[in-house]
Amino acid sequence: MLKKYLIISTATDLVRIAPERIVFISSDGNYCNLVQADNETRLLTFQLGQIETMIRDQLGTEGNLFIRIGRGLIINRNYIYYINIQSQKLILSDVARFTHTVSASKEALKQLKDLIEKEAIE
Amino acid sequence: MSKEKDIRDDEIRVIGSDDGQRKKSQGWKWLVLLVAGIVIGIIVWQALPVKQEPIVEDIAEPGYFDHDSNIQEQPIQKTPLSHAEETGHGFVEIADTTINDIPLQIYIPHQMSFSLYVGAVDRNDPSILYAAQAADVRADNGGIVGAFVLKGEPLAWGLSKKGYCAIINDTVTIGVADNSPLFEEATEKQGYFFRQFPLVDNGQLVENELKGKSIRRAICDRGGEILIVETLTTESFHDFAQALVDLGIDNAIYMVGSNSYGWATDADGVRHPFGNPDPPKKKWKNISYLLMKEKP
Repeated sequence: MLKKYLIISTATDLVRIAPERIVFISSDGNYCNLVQADNETRLLTFQLGQIETMIRDQLGTEGNLFIRIGRGLIINRNYIYYINIQSQKLILSDVARFTHTVSASKEALKQLKDLIEKEAIE
Repeated sequence: MSKEKDIRDDEIRVIGSDDGQRKKSQGWKWLVLLVAGIVIGIIVWQALPVKQEPIVEDIAEPGYFDHDSNIQEQPIQKTPLSHAEETGHGFVEIADTTINDIPLQIYIPHQMSFSLYVGAVDRNDPSILYAAQAADVRADNGGIVGAFVLKGEPLAWGLSKKGYCAIINDTVTIGVADNSPLFEEATEKQGYFFRQFPLVDNGQLVENELKGKSIRRAICDRGGEILIVETLTTESFHDFAQALVDLGIDNAIYMVGSNSYGWATDADGVRHPFGNPDPPKKKWKNISYLLMKEKP
Protein backbone atom coordinates (compact mmCIF):
# COMPACT_ATOMS: atom_id res chain seq x y z
CA MET A 1 0.00 0.00 0.00
CA LEU A 2 1.26 3.47 -0.88
CA LYS A 3 2.49 5.58 1.96
CA LYS A 4 0.11 8.43 2.74
CA TYR A 5 1.24 12.02 2.64
CA LEU A 6 -0.57 15.14 3.66
CA ILE A 7 -0.76 17.46 0.68
CA ILE A 8 -1.51 21.11 1.27
CA SER A 9 -1.92 22.87 -2.02
CA THR A 10 -2.66 26.47 -2.97
CA ALA A 11 -2.87 28.14 -6.38
CA THR A 12 0.85 28.79 -6.35
CA ASP A 13 2.55 26.16 -4.21
CA LEU A 14 2.23 22.74 -2.66
CA VAL A 15 3.48 21.13 0.52
CA ARG A 16 3.75 17.34 0.65
CA ILE A 17 4.73 15.96 4.01
CA ALA A 18 4.63 12.60 5.72
CA PRO A 19 2.23 12.83 8.71
CA GLU A 20 4.82 11.54 11.17
CA ARG A 21 7.08 14.45 10.23
CA ILE A 22 4.54 16.97 11.51
CA VAL A 23 5.07 17.86 15.16
CA PHE A 24 2.23 20.33 15.52
CA ILE A 25 0.28 22.98 13.67
CA SER A 26 -0.66 26.17 15.46
CA SER A 27 -3.14 28.82 14.46
CA ASP A 28 -1.81 32.27 13.63
CA GLY A 29 -4.78 34.47 12.87
CA ASN A 30 -6.13 33.37 9.50
CA TYR A 31 -2.97 31.35 8.83
CA CYS A 32 -1.20 28.42 10.45
CA ASN A 33 2.35 27.52 11.32
CA LEU A 34 3.33 23.93 10.62
CA VAL A 35 6.25 22.84 12.80
CA GLN A 36 8.19 19.97 11.28
CA ALA A 37 10.34 17.29 12.88
CA ASP A 38 13.43 18.87 11.28
CA ASN A 39 12.73 22.01 13.36
CA GLU A 40 11.62 23.96 10.30
CA THR A 41 8.41 25.98 10.49
CA ARG A 42 6.25 26.57 7.45
CA LEU A 43 3.53 29.18 7.21
CA LEU A 44 0.36 27.79 5.65
CA THR A 45 -2.21 30.16 4.21
CA PHE A 46 -5.11 28.15 5.60
CA GLN A 47 -7.09 28.33 8.79
CA LEU A 48 -6.59 25.55 11.32
CA GLY A 49 -10.10 24.17 10.73
CA GLN A 50 -9.32 23.80 7.02
CA ILE A 51 -6.10 21.93 7.82
CA GLU A 52 -8.05 19.64 10.14
CA THR A 53 -10.47 18.88 7.31
CA MET A 54 -7.57 18.12 4.94
CA ILE A 55 -6.06 15.72 7.48
CA ARG A 56 -9.37 13.94 7.94
CA ASP A 57 -10.16 13.76 4.21
CA GLN A 58 -6.70 12.74 3.03
CA LEU A 59 -5.52 10.50 5.83
CA GLY A 60 -8.85 8.98 6.90
CA THR A 61 -8.51 6.92 10.06
CA GLU A 62 -4.74 7.41 9.96
CA GLY A 63 -5.54 11.02 10.74
CA ASN A 64 -6.09 9.92 14.32
CA LEU A 65 -2.37 10.46 14.68
CA PHE A 66 -3.42 14.06 15.19
CA ILE A 67 -5.42 15.63 17.98
CA ARG A 68 -7.08 19.01 17.75
CA ILE A 69 -6.64 20.91 21.02
CA GLY A 70 -8.92 23.90 21.36
CA ARG A 71 -9.12 26.45 18.61
CA GLY A 72 -5.43 27.02 18.27
CA LEU A 73 -3.58 23.72 17.99
CA ILE A 74 -3.30 20.39 16.20
CA ILE A 75 -0.66 18.11 17.63
CA ASN A 76 0.93 14.84 16.61
CA ARG A 77 0.13 12.47 19.47
CA ASN A 78 3.38 10.54 18.95
CA TYR A 79 5.34 13.51 20.25
CA ILE A 80 3.42 14.14 23.45
CA TYR A 81 6.17 14.08 26.03
CA TYR A 82 4.99 16.12 29.01
CA ILE A 83 1.68 17.56 30.19
CA ASN A 84 1.35 19.93 33.11
CA ILE A 85 -2.25 20.97 33.66
CA GLN A 86 -1.55 23.56 36.32
CA SER A 87 0.96 25.51 34.27
CA GLN A 88 -1.02 24.85 31.06
CA LYS A 89 2.12 23.42 29.50
CA LEU A 90 2.43 20.73 26.85
CA ILE A 91 5.85 19.65 25.65
CA LEU A 92 6.11 17.92 22.29
CA SER A 93 9.40 16.16 21.80
CA ASP A 94 11.02 13.12 20.20
CA VAL A 95 13.45 13.24 23.13
CA ALA A 96 16.31 13.42 20.67
CA ARG A 97 16.34 16.27 18.20
CA PHE A 98 13.53 18.65 19.09
CA THR A 99 11.48 19.93 21.99
CA HIS A 100 8.62 22.38 21.58
CA THR A 101 6.58 23.84 24.41
CA VAL A 102 3.04 24.93 23.67
CA SER A 103 0.21 25.94 25.95
CA ALA A 104 -3.46 25.05 26.04
CA SER A 105 -6.35 25.44 28.43
CA LYS A 106 -6.33 23.42 31.64
CA GLU A 107 -9.52 21.59 30.72
CA ALA A 108 -8.18 20.62 27.30
CA LEU A 109 -4.93 19.36 28.81
CA LYS A 110 -6.86 17.41 31.41
CA GLN A 111 -8.85 15.74 28.64
CA LEU A 112 -5.66 15.01 26.73
CA LYS A 113 -4.05 13.48 29.81
CA ASP A 114 -7.14 11.32 30.39
CA LEU A 115 -7.11 10.21 26.76
CA ILE A 116 -3.45 9.19 26.86
CA GLU A 117 -3.96 7.35 30.16
CA LYS A 118 -7.04 5.57 28.83
CA GLU A 119 -5.27 4.51 25.64
CA ALA A 120 -2.34 3.17 27.65
CA ILE A 121 -4.67 0.81 29.50
CA GLU A 122 -6.58 -0.40 26.41
CA MET B 1 -14.58 19.25 1.61
CA SER B 2 -16.92 19.42 4.56
CA LYS B 3 -16.15 21.88 7.31
CA GLU B 4 -15.15 20.72 10.76
CA LYS B 5 -17.43 21.41 13.69
CA ASP B 6 -16.46 24.32 15.87
CA ILE B 7 -14.32 23.49 18.84
CA ARG B 8 -13.94 25.34 22.12
CA ASP B 9 -10.62 26.03 23.77
CA ASP B 10 -11.46 23.61 26.56
CA GLU B 11 -12.12 20.71 24.18
CA ILE B 12 -9.98 18.22 22.32
CA ARG B 13 -10.84 16.08 19.30
CA VAL B 14 -9.06 13.13 17.76
CA ILE B 15 -8.96 13.80 14.02
CA GLY B 16 -10.04 10.94 11.76
CA SER B 17 -11.45 8.96 14.67
CA ASP B 18 -14.06 6.26 14.18
CA ASP B 19 -16.63 8.62 15.62
CA GLY B 20 -16.36 10.82 12.57
CA GLN B 21 -16.63 7.79 10.28
CA ARG B 22 -19.72 6.56 12.02
CA LYS B 23 -21.39 9.90 11.63
CA LYS B 24 -20.61 9.83 7.93
CA SER B 25 -22.08 6.36 7.35
CA GLN B 26 -25.30 7.26 9.11
CA GLY B 27 -26.01 10.07 6.65
CA TRP B 28 -28.55 7.98 4.66
CA LYS B 29 -30.67 7.57 7.80
CA TRP B 30 -31.02 11.31 8.09
CA LEU B 31 -32.00 11.49 4.42
CA VAL B 32 -34.76 8.92 4.97
CA LEU B 33 -36.00 10.81 8.03
CA LEU B 34 -35.99 14.09 6.10
CA VAL B 35 -38.00 12.63 3.19
CA ALA B 36 -40.46 11.01 5.64
CA GLY B 37 -40.84 14.35 7.43
CA ILE B 38 -41.58 16.19 4.18
CA VAL B 39 -44.21 13.59 3.15
CA ILE B 40 -45.94 13.75 6.56
CA GLY B 41 -45.84 17.54 6.39
CA ILE B 42 -47.55 17.60 2.97
CA ILE B 43 -50.28 15.16 4.17
CA VAL B 44 -50.99 17.24 7.29
CA TRP B 45 -51.05 20.48 5.30
CA GLN B 46 -53.51 19.05 2.78
CA ALA B 47 -55.79 17.81 5.56
CA LEU B 48 -56.03 21.21 7.19
CA PRO B 49 -59.04 23.44 6.32
CA VAL B 50 -58.05 26.20 3.93
CA LYS B 51 -58.41 29.62 5.51
CA GLN B 52 -59.65 32.27 3.09
CA GLU B 53 -57.53 35.35 3.38
CA PRO B 54 -59.30 38.63 2.62
CA ILE B 55 -58.06 40.12 -0.61
CA VAL B 56 -56.45 43.45 -0.07
CA GLU B 57 -55.66 45.45 -3.13
CA ASP B 58 -53.43 48.36 -3.83
CA ILE B 59 -50.87 47.58 -1.18
CA ALA B 60 -47.50 48.54 -2.53
CA GLU B 61 -45.23 45.57 -2.14
CA PRO B 62 -41.59 46.49 -1.82
CA GLY B 63 -39.66 45.56 -4.93
CA TYR B 64 -36.60 43.40 -4.76
CA PHE B 65 -34.37 46.42 -4.97
CA ASP B 66 -36.46 48.82 -2.91
CA HIS B 67 -34.92 49.97 0.31
CA ASP B 68 -36.99 48.83 3.24
CA SER B 69 -36.24 50.97 6.25
CA ASN B 70 -37.64 48.31 8.56
CA ILE B 71 -34.95 45.84 7.58
CA GLN B 72 -31.85 46.39 9.63
CA GLU B 73 -28.67 44.41 9.72
CA GLN B 74 -28.53 42.36 12.86
CA PRO B 75 -25.22 42.26 14.71
CA ILE B 76 -23.52 38.87 14.68
CA GLN B 77 -24.36 37.03 17.89
CA LYS B 78 -21.29 35.75 19.67
CA THR B 79 -21.35 32.47 21.52
CA PRO B 80 -21.05 33.40 25.20
CA LEU B 81 -17.85 32.30 26.88
CA SER B 82 -19.83 31.32 29.96
CA HIS B 83 -20.77 27.67 30.43
CA ALA B 84 -21.93 27.88 34.03
CA GLU B 85 -25.54 27.50 35.08
CA GLU B 86 -27.12 30.24 37.12
CA THR B 87 -27.35 29.33 40.79
CA GLY B 88 -29.55 32.19 41.92
CA HIS B 89 -26.54 33.58 43.79
CA GLY B 90 -23.73 35.86 42.78
CA PHE B 91 -20.48 34.17 41.77
CA VAL B 92 -17.59 34.44 39.37
CA GLU B 93 -17.12 31.72 36.78
CA ILE B 94 -13.42 31.19 36.19
CA ALA B 95 -12.42 29.86 32.79
CA ASP B 96 -9.07 29.60 31.12
CA THR B 97 -7.99 29.55 27.55
CA THR B 98 -4.95 30.18 25.42
CA ILE B 99 -4.85 32.70 22.63
CA ASN B 100 -1.72 33.14 20.51
CA ASP B 101 0.18 31.07 23.09
CA ILE B 102 -0.84 33.48 25.86
CA PRO B 103 -2.54 31.66 28.74
CA LEU B 104 -5.52 33.70 29.85
CA GLN B 105 -7.76 33.52 32.90
CA ILE B 106 -11.29 34.74 32.27
CA TYR B 107 -13.53 35.88 35.10
CA ILE B 108 -17.21 35.86 34.15
CA PRO B 109 -19.53 37.44 36.71
CA HIS B 110 -22.99 36.01 37.35
CA GLN B 111 -25.74 37.86 39.23
CA MET B 112 -23.29 40.57 40.19
CA SER B 113 -23.48 44.24 40.86
CA PHE B 114 -20.37 46.30 40.04
CA SER B 115 -18.94 49.25 41.92
CA LEU B 116 -15.71 51.12 42.53
CA TYR B 117 -14.02 51.59 45.87
CA VAL B 118 -11.24 53.94 46.92
CA GLY B 119 -8.80 52.99 49.67
CA ALA B 120 -7.57 49.71 51.10
CA VAL B 121 -10.23 47.11 50.43
CA ASP B 122 -11.40 44.93 53.32
CA ARG B 123 -10.04 41.50 52.51
CA ASN B 124 -12.24 39.89 55.16
CA ASP B 125 -15.50 41.21 53.73
CA PRO B 126 -17.30 38.07 52.49
CA SER B 127 -19.76 40.13 50.45
CA ILE B 128 -16.99 41.16 48.04
CA LEU B 129 -16.96 38.37 45.48
CA TYR B 130 -14.45 39.96 43.15
CA ALA B 131 -11.83 42.65 43.74
CA ALA B 132 -9.07 44.01 41.53
CA GLN B 133 -7.38 47.37 41.18
CA ALA B 134 -8.92 49.70 38.62
CA ALA B 135 -7.51 53.18 37.97
CA ASP B 136 -3.93 54.42 38.13
CA VAL B 137 -2.54 56.50 40.96
CA ARG B 138 -0.04 59.27 40.28
CA ALA B 139 3.39 58.53 41.69
CA ASP B 140 4.12 62.20 42.49
CA ASN B 141 1.08 63.27 44.47
CA GLY B 142 -0.95 60.09 44.89
CA GLY B 143 -3.91 61.49 42.97
CA ILE B 144 -6.14 59.37 40.75
CA VAL B 145 -5.13 59.50 37.09
CA GLY B 146 -7.96 60.55 34.80
CA ALA B 147 -11.59 61.29 35.48
CA PHE B 148 -13.04 59.29 38.34
CA VAL B 149 -16.53 59.22 39.85
CA LEU B 150 -17.29 57.37 43.07
CA LYS B 151 -20.98 56.82 43.76
CA GLY B 152 -21.92 60.08 42.06
CA GLU B 153 -19.06 62.07 43.53
CA PRO B 154 -16.37 63.22 41.09
CA LEU B 155 -12.95 62.67 42.69
CA ALA B 156 -10.75 63.44 39.70
CA TRP B 157 -10.98 65.11 36.31
CA GLY B 158 -8.77 64.99 33.31
CA LEU B 159 -8.07 63.02 30.19
CA SER B 160 -4.77 61.27 30.38
CA LYS B 161 -6.26 58.04 29.11
CA LYS B 162 -9.00 57.71 26.54
CA GLY B 163 -10.52 54.43 27.67
CA TYR B 164 -13.38 54.60 30.13
CA CYS B 165 -15.62 52.35 32.17
CA ALA B 166 -18.93 53.64 33.47
CA ILE B 167 -21.14 51.81 35.93
CA ILE B 168 -24.57 53.37 36.03
CA ASN B 169 -27.62 51.60 37.45
CA ASP B 170 -25.73 48.30 37.36
CA THR B 171 -25.00 48.68 33.67
CA VAL B 172 -21.34 48.55 32.75
CA THR B 173 -20.26 50.48 29.65
CA ILE B 174 -16.72 50.26 28.30
CA GLY B 175 -15.54 52.54 25.53
CA VAL B 176 -13.02 54.94 24.09
CA ALA B 177 -13.72 58.67 23.81
CA ASP B 178 -12.15 62.02 24.62
CA ASN B 179 -15.35 63.16 26.22
CA SER B 180 -18.07 60.88 27.42
CA PRO B 181 -21.49 62.03 28.62
CA LEU B 182 -21.39 59.00 30.91
CA PHE B 183 -19.10 60.96 33.23
CA GLU B 184 -21.86 63.48 33.89
CA GLU B 185 -24.50 60.76 33.97
CA ALA B 186 -22.50 58.89 36.60
CA THR B 187 -22.44 62.02 38.76
CA GLU B 188 -26.18 62.48 38.34
CA LYS B 189 -27.20 58.87 38.97
CA GLN B 190 -24.91 57.89 41.85
CA GLY B 191 -22.82 55.92 39.39
CA TYR B 192 -19.14 55.17 38.94
CA PHE B 193 -16.65 56.12 36.25
CA PHE B 194 -12.93 55.64 35.71
CA ARG B 195 -10.45 56.04 32.89
CA GLN B 196 -7.71 53.70 31.74
CA PHE B 197 -5.67 52.79 28.69
CA PRO B 198 -7.93 51.54 25.89
CA LEU B 199 -6.99 48.13 24.50
CA VAL B 200 -9.83 47.27 22.13
CA ASP B 201 -12.23 49.71 20.51
CA ASN B 202 -15.16 48.19 18.59
CA GLY B 203 -13.22 45.01 17.90
CA GLN B 204 -10.10 46.89 16.75
CA LEU B 205 -6.78 46.77 18.56
CA VAL B 206 -5.74 50.08 20.11
CA GLU B 207 -1.99 50.64 20.09
CA ASN B 208 -0.44 52.03 23.25
CA GLU B 209 3.05 53.42 23.38
CA LEU B 210 3.83 51.83 26.73
CA LYS B 211 6.60 49.27 26.53
CA GLY B 212 7.59 46.44 28.80
CA LYS B 213 5.89 43.25 29.88
CA SER B 214 3.72 42.59 32.87
CA ILE B 215 0.76 40.53 34.03
CA ARG B 216 -2.08 42.24 32.17
CA ARG B 217 -5.70 42.60 33.21
CA ALA B 218 -8.63 44.20 31.43
CA ILE B 219 -12.33 44.74 31.83
CA CYS B 220 -13.98 43.73 28.59
CA ASP B 221 -17.28 43.74 26.77
CA ARG B 222 -17.83 40.78 24.49
CA GLY B 223 -21.19 40.96 22.78
CA GLY B 224 -22.70 42.49 25.90
CA GLU B 225 -21.04 39.97 28.23
CA ILE B 226 -18.84 41.81 30.74
CA LEU B 227 -15.68 39.92 31.63
CA ILE B 228 -12.35 40.41 33.29
CA VAL B 229 -9.48 38.85 31.37
CA GLU B 230 -5.98 38.52 32.76
CA THR B 231 -2.79 36.96 31.48
CA LEU B 232 -1.00 34.27 33.44
CA THR B 233 2.30 35.28 31.87
CA THR B 234 3.92 38.68 31.50
CA GLU B 235 2.88 40.22 28.21
CA SER B 236 3.25 43.46 26.28
CA PHE B 237 0.29 45.78 25.82
CA HIS B 238 0.20 44.96 22.13
CA ASP B 239 0.19 41.18 22.53
CA PHE B 240 -2.44 41.37 25.26
CA ALA B 241 -4.67 43.62 23.17
CA GLN B 242 -4.24 41.31 20.16
CA ALA B 243 -5.23 38.31 22.29
CA LEU B 244 -8.36 40.18 23.41
CA VAL B 245 -9.25 40.97 19.79
CA ASP B 246 -8.76 37.31 18.87
CA LEU B 247 -10.95 36.32 21.83
CA GLY B 248 -13.74 38.32 20.19
CA ILE B 249 -13.73 41.21 22.64
CA ASP B 250 -15.55 44.29 21.36
CA ASN B 251 -14.29 46.86 23.87
CA ALA B 252 -11.66 46.60 26.57
CA ILE B 253 -9.74 48.88 28.83
CA TYR B 254 -6.76 48.10 30.98
CA MET B 255 -6.91 47.60 34.74
CA VAL B 256 -3.88 48.64 36.71
CA GLY B 257 -2.27 46.50 39.33
CA SER B 258 -0.45 43.77 37.47
CA ASN B 259 0.68 41.77 40.46
CA SER B 260 -1.54 43.51 43.01
CA TYR B 261 -3.72 41.41 45.25
CA GLY B 262 -7.30 40.57 44.34
CA TRP B 263 -9.68 37.65 44.34
CA ALA B 264 -12.66 36.01 42.70
CA THR B 265 -15.23 33.81 44.44
CA ASP B 266 -16.59 30.86 42.48
CA ALA B 267 -20.03 29.18 42.52
CA ASP B 268 -19.01 26.99 45.46
CA GLY B 269 -18.08 30.04 47.50
CA VAL B 270 -14.36 29.30 47.21
CA ARG B 271 -12.21 32.41 47.02
CA HIS B 272 -9.46 32.31 44.38
CA PRO B 273 -6.83 34.92 45.18
CA PHE B 274 -4.45 36.35 42.62
CA GLY B 275 -1.46 38.67 42.80
CA ASN B 276 0.87 39.28 45.68
CA PRO B 277 -0.92 39.04 49.06
CA ASP B 278 1.66 41.24 50.79
CA PRO B 279 0.34 44.73 51.51
CA PRO B 280 1.74 47.34 49.08
CA LYS B 281 4.92 49.02 50.31
CA LYS B 282 3.53 52.46 49.67
CA LYS B 283 0.01 52.98 50.99
CA TRP B 284 -1.79 55.10 48.43
CA LYS B 285 -4.93 56.57 49.90
CA ASN B 286 -6.40 56.89 46.43
CA ILE B 287 -5.86 53.31 45.37
CA SER B 288 -9.04 52.20 43.63
CA TYR B 289 -10.71 48.85 43.19
CA LEU B 290 -13.34 47.38 40.96
CA LEU B 291 -15.61 45.35 43.21
CA MET B 292 -18.36 42.88 42.49
CA LYS B 293 -21.03 41.91 44.97
CA GLU B 294 -24.11 39.75 44.68
CA LYS B 295 -27.02 41.60 43.16
CA PRO B 296 -29.52 42.43 45.89
